Amino acid sequence: MTQVMTNTSYLQRLLPTGSDSSTSGPLWLQARREEARRQWLRVGLPKNSDEQWRFTDLSPLAETDFSTPAAAPAAVPSSDGRLPGLEGAALVLVNGNLYRPASRLPPAPVKIALLSQAAAADSKIFADLLGAQAHPSHHGLIALNTANFSDVVLVEVPAGVTVAAPLNLAVHALGNQPFTTYPRILLKVGANAAVTVVFSFTGPDHLAYLTNSVVEATVGAGSRVELVKIQREGTAALHIGSDYIHLDRDVTFQSLSLNQGGLLVRNNVTVTLAGPGSQATLNGLSMTAGRQHVDNHTMLDHAREQCASHELYKSLLAGRSSGTFTGKILVRPGAQKTDAKQTSKAVLLSSQATMNSQPQLEIYADDVKCTHGSTNGPLDDEQLFYLRARGLACNQARAMLTSAFASDVLARVWQPALRTMLEDLVVTELHRLEREEF
Amino acid sequence: MPILEIKDLQAGIAGRQILRGVNLTIVPGEVHAIMGPNGSGKSTLAQVLAGRDTYVVTGGSVRLDGQDLLELSPEERACAGLFLAFQYPVEIPGVSTSYFLKAALNAVRKYHGQPELDAMDFLKLMKQKMKLLDMDPSFLSRAVNEGFSGGEKKRNEILQMAVLDPKLAILDETDSGLDIDALRIVAGGVNSLRGPDRGILLVTHYQRLLNYIVPDYVHVLRDGQIIKSGDKNLALELEARGYGWLEEPAAVH
Repeated sequence: MTQVMTNTSYLQRLLPTGSDSSTSGPLWLQARREEARRQWLRVGLPKNSDEQWRFTDLSPLAETDFSTPAAAPAAVPSSDGRLPGLEGAALVLVNGNLYRPASRLPPAPVKIALLSQAAAADSKIFADLLGAQAHPSHHGLIALNTANFSDVVLVEVPAGVTVAAPLNLAVHALGNQPFTTYPRILLKVGANAAVTVVFSFTGPDHLAYLTNSVVEATVGAGSRVELVKIQREGTAALHIGSDYIHLDRDVTFQSLSLNQGGLLVRNNVTVTLAGPGSQATLNGLSMTAGRQHVDNHTMLDHAREQCASHELYKSLLAGRSSGTFTGKILVRPGAQKTDAKQTSKAVLLSSQATMNSQPQLEIYADDVKCTHGSTNGPLDDEQLFYLRARGLACNQARAMLTSAFASDVLARVWQPALRTMLEDLVVTELHRLEREEF
Repeated sequence: MPILEIKDLQAGIAGRQILRGVNLTIVPGEVHAIMGPNGSGKSTLAQVLAGRDTYVVTGGSVRLDGQDLLELSPEERACAGLFLAFQYPVEIPGVSTSYFLKAALNAVRKYHGQPELDAMDFLKLMKQKMKLLDMDPSFLSRAVNEGFSGGEKKRNEILQMAVLDPKLAILDETDSGLDIDALRIVAGGVNSLRGPDRGILLVTHYQRLLNYIVPDYVHVLRDGQIIKSGDKNLALELEARGYGWLEEPAAVH
């Protein structure tokens, strides 16, 4: 399968044509675009020979003839990707651009800003945050996003502000021929603030398109932040999400990555514990069927002492779907009293589904606790028999066990309304998996 | 009509024969005990009757209330009125006891064409049954058997039996792992479920349980066959003399 990407014609094809993107906007931006272009042309797509991309073959991306999407579609269908049942503000992004008619902007003091509309004076915050974590040198897809994004959305929660309802960023892909979209989002949370942000990704079914999204978040000292990603891309979509989260001291951070859609999905999550006393809890739930592939790749950078990170990633795999979990943990010198725990659990609902889990620990401090564990296998026969011996039909017993498997990840979500909505999404998805189990 | 009629039952696992022609008949109202040394096939018999597919039935027949049991799935057997109290009740994290029991009860009711119980009626029933076993209502919100003590697990089994109201209850080593107080409570629960319409089959290694649940008949299983049957005094004799004196297969009750 791997005479992969010897053909390099895709490199130019995936870059913006004409001069608009690299010669517009402020000078700092033009320079970064140019740097990203060069980096992209130099490295291209990550290859399977790269240890960090071993299990995910991106060659379909090189082989698809993507057209560039219209930057701002005139009309957006009613299924614009907003989540039902969620109160609070919703920013609808269509192909990376804020689509105001469908959006409910959050009230002050939460600030929303767009790079495309930033006055010269306001562009400094973009210059400071953009690329501060997601550098084009990390991998080709960061470079590609940086060279291509059509706008940058900045969400700012000032210090001391508690945002009660979840803030929804509905990232919607729209097009009717194979196309690419490059959402780029910045989130800045000041000190002692609290917010839950829900990123939802949706797009058309049966159409090969690429969502290559980059999120950079910085969280100030003492804040409490929850990021929920609901990935429900179309059935033939390629989704690559690279999320960077930088935590100051004494932060309580939690994330959930719920993956249900897409054909080929890679989630890169990098959390930097940059101040002492912070806690990061990363949860994941992937539900796949058919030939879906979901690769969750997390990196916890314990840069300072007294921090805890807990990861629990779960996968339910039906059909011939496949999954990967890679948990990198870096404990830097001086990051004493680090407590890092990592767990990956997968239930294989069919004999043709596969799962790979691998921890990658790099520890340069001596007083630390790092544990990891993974279990992959079919539903437990003993449990199934026990339920059936009480009168539950086989499919009912299986449904009970799969939903129980998913429940603890969802139970951790802070916001009750959001939790209920997620549980509904999971139940619906379980029915899809059930139809495809064998 | 007998509630359970086992004729010449032969079964095994992975090519190894364990049951070598078991014959046993239970009529409603009777309590039978099956005793026997380790490896005699007691638990295999219990599992085979409940429909565990790791065992392969190679001969014989089993009728439950006149119905061919062996052609039914485990869930059909449960719905038809067979209940197995597990020797090792299984932990099911993420499923609350009340959710599980309600689903089980409604599955059985549905099978018999009865309407499902609503939440209120279900709770009322549960409270009544839990009192029987001296169980705290907080049981209901705990995940099925997860982190339960040995005694709690066994009580939970009897609670399920009380709720599902089977025609035939098979109790597999229900006394194992119980201290004397827990044993009294569990036995009290079982005794309260004795009745003219129900058959009970106790599978046990020790005579101790039979002091609390006094059987009408005692059978000795050895090498996959019932080699001796008698009344409760047989159990006392086994307690005193062990299994060694029973060599030849005897006439079957």
